[in-house]
Amino acid sequence: MDFLEAVHISLDSLKANKLRSILTLIGIIIGVMTVIAVVSIINGLNTYVSTKIFNLGADVFILSKSPAVILNIDDWEEAQKRKDLREEDYQAVKEGCQHCQLVGAAVSAVGRVKYEQQSLTNVTISGWSAAMPQILDIDVVSGRELTPLDEEHKSHTCVIGNDLVENLFPGLDPIGREVRVDDLPYLVVGVAKKLGSTLGQSRDNFVMIPVTTFLKEYGSRRSIRIFAKAYGQAALEQAQDDVRLIMRARRHVPYAKKDDFAIETNQTFLAIWANISRAFFLVTIAIASISLIVGGVVIMNIMLVSVTERTREIGVRKAIGARRHDILLQFLIESSTLSLVGGLCGILIGVVIAKLVSLFTPLPAVIQAWSIAMGLLVSTSIGLFFGIYPATRAAKLDPIAALRFEL
Amino acid sequence: MGKNGNRPMILTEDLWKTYEMGSEKIHALHGVSFEIRQNEYVAIMGPSGSGKSTLMNVIGCLDTPSQGKYYINDRLVSELSDDELAYIRNKEIGFVFQTFNLLSRATALHNVELPLIYNGTPSVERLERAKASLVKVDLGDRMGHKPNELSGGQRQRVAIARALVNNPSIILADEPTGNLDTATGVEIMNLFERLWEQGNTIVLVTHEHDIAAHANRIIHLRDGRIERDEIVRQVEAQKPQPQTTEAAT
Ligand SMILES: Nc1ncnc2c1ncn2[C@@H]1O[C@H](COP(=O)(O)OP(=O)(O)OP(=O)(O)O)[C@@H](O)[C@H]1O
Ligand SMILES: [Mg+2]
Repeated sequence: MDFLEAVHISLDSLKANKLRSILTLIGIIIGVMTVIAVVSIINGLNTYVSTKIFNLGADVFILSKSPAVILNIDDWEEAQKRKDLREEDYQAVKEGCQHCQLVGAAVSAVGRVKYEQQSLTNVTISGWSAAMPQILDIDVVSGRELTPLDEEHKSHTCVIGNDLVENLFPGLDPIGREVRVDDLPYLVVGVAKKLGSTLGQSRDNFVMIPVTTFLKEYGSRRSIRIFAKAYGQAALEQAQDDVRLIMRARRHVPYAKKDDFAIETNQTFLAIWANISRAFFLVTIAIASISLIVGGVVIMNIMLVSVTERTREIGVRKAIGARRHDILLQFLIESSTLSLVGGLCGILIGVVIAKLVSLFTPLPAVIQAWSIAMGLLVSTSIGLFFGIYPATRAAKLDPIAALRFEL
Repeated sequence: MGKNGNRPMILTEDLWKTYEMGSEKIHALHGVSFEIRQNEYVAIMGPSGSGKSTLMNVIGCLDTPSQGKYYINDRLVSELSDDELAYIRNKEIGFVFQTFNLLSRATALHNVELPLIYNGTPSVERLERAKASLVKVDLGDRMGHKPNELSGGQRQRVAIARALVNNPSIILADEPTGNLDTATGVEIMNLFERLWEQGNTIVLVTHEHDIAAHANRIIHLRDGRIERDEIVRQVEAQKPQPQTTEAAT
């Protein structure tokens, strides 16, 4: 039988039972919708995470006491026992790392910044060495950067983030003015470029001071983080090995023992994120599968009802020459058209959800073409699969029994 | 049996159809043998429950006999596969039902097209032939109507157009006027008469003598047996052998 003809017949009988068709399709709609929306959102998250959260340069790595993300309690306990990283470690790395173009030290605290009557709490106070802005690619838009000289003199100078400019100096040029950071006076020498926000958290709410000043004022008994930029991405591995060797030598870590410090690159962070998002994705797929299977069973049920209701029609078709496979095909096309329609609705709703998410949150939820293709494929297959049994029942009907059938 | 090379179109030998209702056996057909040749116009008559519909369904390859042989155009039907039977129902037989049996959601045109769809006729030709068939039954102006927008007589004419559309060897009609008033019934009978004159072979079941009078041969059934098989009008082209099977009781 003509394929289009079968589709036409199917759509006709779907139209004849609109409400029932919609109710039937809820499972498929929810399943496909979930897949489309979640895939888009995860994808948006991935983009977001890699551009906004873990946005270290590809040639940059961080040496720190413990990893940024610890996923089990044993590792956490082990990390607590580690030695802090000190300024001496920074100096050693700076001098010893041959593949490092730049090495910087950073340490931070949260505090209060005040200018005349205005004050701002919860400001990140970063003690940065002079190379840090270059390593992290943070430019100064007005004034100057902190220099090695500031570092050397432990001077009370600072570069402030955009939030401080807006909140403490509305309508004023902050350069050359004095702010109080945790009650100590600092001269504003520069303003950093606006960085925007991540997950609703502003990244411009900071004041940078020389790392030496920080250690003097806030105490040197805290672990610093050492940032290094290799000579290009190609040298990243070697630069990390340099640093690893230096640190292990300094700490006399025996050959068989693990590092008692952490070296992390953007790749490390992204790999951790990839694990999390994969788990999230698998859970979604599991939920969607359940809803698709339920949807499939509902379709099977409705097709069985449809076959029963249309027994006489099947009888008529057989009486005028429909073969078994004509009837089989008709009902298979009908069930897969039905669930394809469900799939299309699911795709539509999923796309709308993704669009709304990207409209009302900072996540750039990007609709993935493959997820749409998969939605179409899966919904059609569900219809086909769960349609087999009802269609076979229809095809096997005896013509005269079907013609005589009464509901 | 067939002489002068003129093989019968329909040939049955000792057909039985037995229904088992619990311990009781009902013989809807009780050893029926007859033959029908090209361009005959046969009426099957008999009281209610005498097996007329059962016989028609067997001839129409909708039902299978419990016993006996049935040949259609020299092919033994019991040996045919399901698909071959479907092919015969499609090509050789045009069935007209008492209850019309049209697809209620489809237009008249589509209903008539349906047999052509099942034998893979290309759509252009299909439309042409379906239209021609509807014109033949004087429904050229009702092609787009659905069955519920047509009168009973018109519906039956759509059903007849559907039966004709594949130029079948034989048209089988089981009480085609049973659900129609007398005037409409006459109209349908005139249509059959015309089709017969055009060379079609027709087998028709009826209760009514004046309807049977249109036929050139009447087979009387009683209790699943042929009681009488009489020629009422001679056909000029050929003279079918009157074949009388004695009711053996
Ligand atoms: N599916 C069935 N199961 C059991 N008995 C049946 C079945 N179909 C028909 N019969 C019996 O077979 C006999 C013949 O039935 P059939 O329908 O052929 O009669 P008919 O001559 O067409 O009658 P009517 O003029 O009322 O249509 C009846 O006695 C009927 O009860
Ligand atoms: Mg009957």
